Amino acid sequence: MGGLRRVGTIIGYEWKRALAKKKILALIILAIAFQTLIMVAFSRFVGTMFLTNDAGSFMWILGVLEGQGLFVPLIAIMVAGGSMSEEYEHGTADILLSKPITRVEYMCGKFLGGFSLLAMIEALTTFVGVVLSLWFFGAQTGLQFAPLMFLAVVYSSLIFFCLSFMFSEVFRGSTLAMLMAFGILIASSVIGPILTALYSLSGQHLYVDLGKGIPTWAATSFPSLVMSELITAPRAVLPVADSEALYQAAIIIAVYAVIFIVIAAYRLLKSDVTKKTA
Amino acid sequence: MRGYVKNCVICLASPSVLNVSNLTKYYGKFKALDSVSFEVEKGWVYGYLGPNGAGKTTTIRIMLGLLKPNQGEVQIAGANPSKNPVHALQSVGYASELPTLQTFFTAEQLLDFMGRMFGLPMQTRREKTKQLLDLVGLKEWGKKKIGTYSKGMVQRLSVALALINDPMVLIMDEPTIGMDPEATAHFRSLFTSLSKDGKTIFISSHLLDEVQRICTHVGMINKGKIVFSGPIEQILEDFTQQWVVEAELEKVTENMVSSLKALMFVKDVKVDGNKLTIELKEKKDVRGEISSEIFKQKGVLLSLNLHKITLEDAYLQALKGGQ
Repeated sequence: MGGLRRVGTIIGYEWKRALAKKKILALIILAIAFQTLIMVAFSRFVGTMFLTNDAGSFMWILGVLEGQGLFVPLIAIMVAGGSMSEEYEHGTADILLSKPITRVEYMCGKFLGGFSLLAMIEALTTFVGVVLSLWFFGAQTGLQFAPLMFLAVVYSSLIFFCLSFMFSEVFRGSTLAMLMAFGILIASSVIGPILTALYSLSGQHLYVDLGKGIPTWAATSFPSLVMSELITAPRAVLPVADSEALYQAAIIIAVYAVIFIVIAAYRLLKSDVTKKTA
Repeated sequence: MRGYVKNCVICLASPSVLNVSNLTKYYGKFKALDSVSFEVEKGWVYGYLGPNGAGKTTTIRIMLGLLKPNQGEVQIAGANPSKNPVHALQSVGYASELPTLQTFFTAEQLLDFMGRMFGLPMQTRREKTKQLLDLVGLKEWGKKKIGTYSKGMVQRLSVALALINDPMVLIMDEPTIGMDPEATAHFRSLFTSLSKDGKTIFISSHLLDEVQRICTHVGMINKGKIVFSGPIEQILEDFTQQWVVEAELEKVTENMVSSLKALMFVKDVKVDGNKLTIELKEKKDVRGEISSEIFKQKGVLLSLNLHKITLEDAYLQALKGGQ
């Protein structure tokens, strides 16, 4: 019971710490502005040219997923990248870890605090996506699946959150942690289409399998694959249902998350608490 | 190590609150601590002294479970902070040297948060927050963000944070550094009154005068080794080679010098103009006997001082001995 209380205390602390950072607040505002801009663009220009009439009733899916590509991973990287490392940089890790708390409880609190905050931001962007689609495109189909879509988005964001969290603890420097995680996000965003192109050119399935192994594939595909299983929507909005790919994405996310967390935990448990570095 | 760890016999009779046993710590190949052992009993104010890089902060960080020793262990209230921090650190308060606190909190919020970490109920947290802010002179600043505080204010808040759980053991690393003289005096008397309340205080400090004023016991570390641990009177006794009386006269004569040398408690007399430095065989105030002898020799005494040994003298002597 005491352990849960201590974890809960660190969760609250992590929320306060993360929300005090203007960079994160700025990214949340940017994500919502980007969502709005995309919906306006679709309703006024792009949609009228490229979308079929029935696609308009599925625009809430696009409204929710559009933040996935860039802003949600970015916010995940920002929240997790500073979570552990900034405490070392500022010397506050000494203050926290010299209190009656185990390192496991501390890390659980930090992780759950950051991740629950990210989930709340995703709940906000999901809500905004739904509201915007209703505003611009009228009645929507399959809105009852919105909570499930939100959960899929949260699950898929585990990859970049855990990756950045791991770097945060391993390097104990927020800039390096965020740069590394951001570098992997950019690199895998670039490598993915290259592998797809190679597959198109060569016809070799190996490129498809390799493409599934890179973090962005599972992170970006999982929510839309989940929705494809539940709703039949036009191709412009959702891909064709593919149960095998869905399971693969789910497993890849879980495997990456577990590996990253284990590495972070090993580093925290086995090494000394480093002194103030910034 | 010169075998000056004298408190262990006492510790057998009354169990210590803080027990540091055989601590060895390496940073890479550098041996920062070399079999460091000492014990601190309930109610002691233990000053931990040593030059920069001697291993003071490393010892404290191991005591708090922040560093893992390569060998040896620390027991606080019977528990090892590395293995069981929840038990060991429940009754410990810690104030670090020039702390960097969470600047996004106000002092009230930070005290409340720290109270939560110790599992204090809400009502207690509120009362303690108010009481401690008053105690450290930050009553008017409780609702302001810590980011707006001066260094001295942060240091004061750090002491308040260390007291939030009404700790049995208070560990402080240079607690008054950055404070103005008034605040330093206030905190000095605070630490003394806390020790009178039965709290055990462990202070790492460079301010030897401060340590001499408030500490009952001292530990000295040099190059990772303990060179002394024991009562403060003991270090003054052990590391003072001899006592000296300094006399200033109107005129110094040869007869006077030889008659002083003939006194049984005088080891040697050195002359420098009209000043005499009389080295004594025993640690005893013999100014009365010396002035009588000078008067007998018809000398006119202008001043006569027993050179009092300070902790600084003993400290420097101990460091020399430990090398």
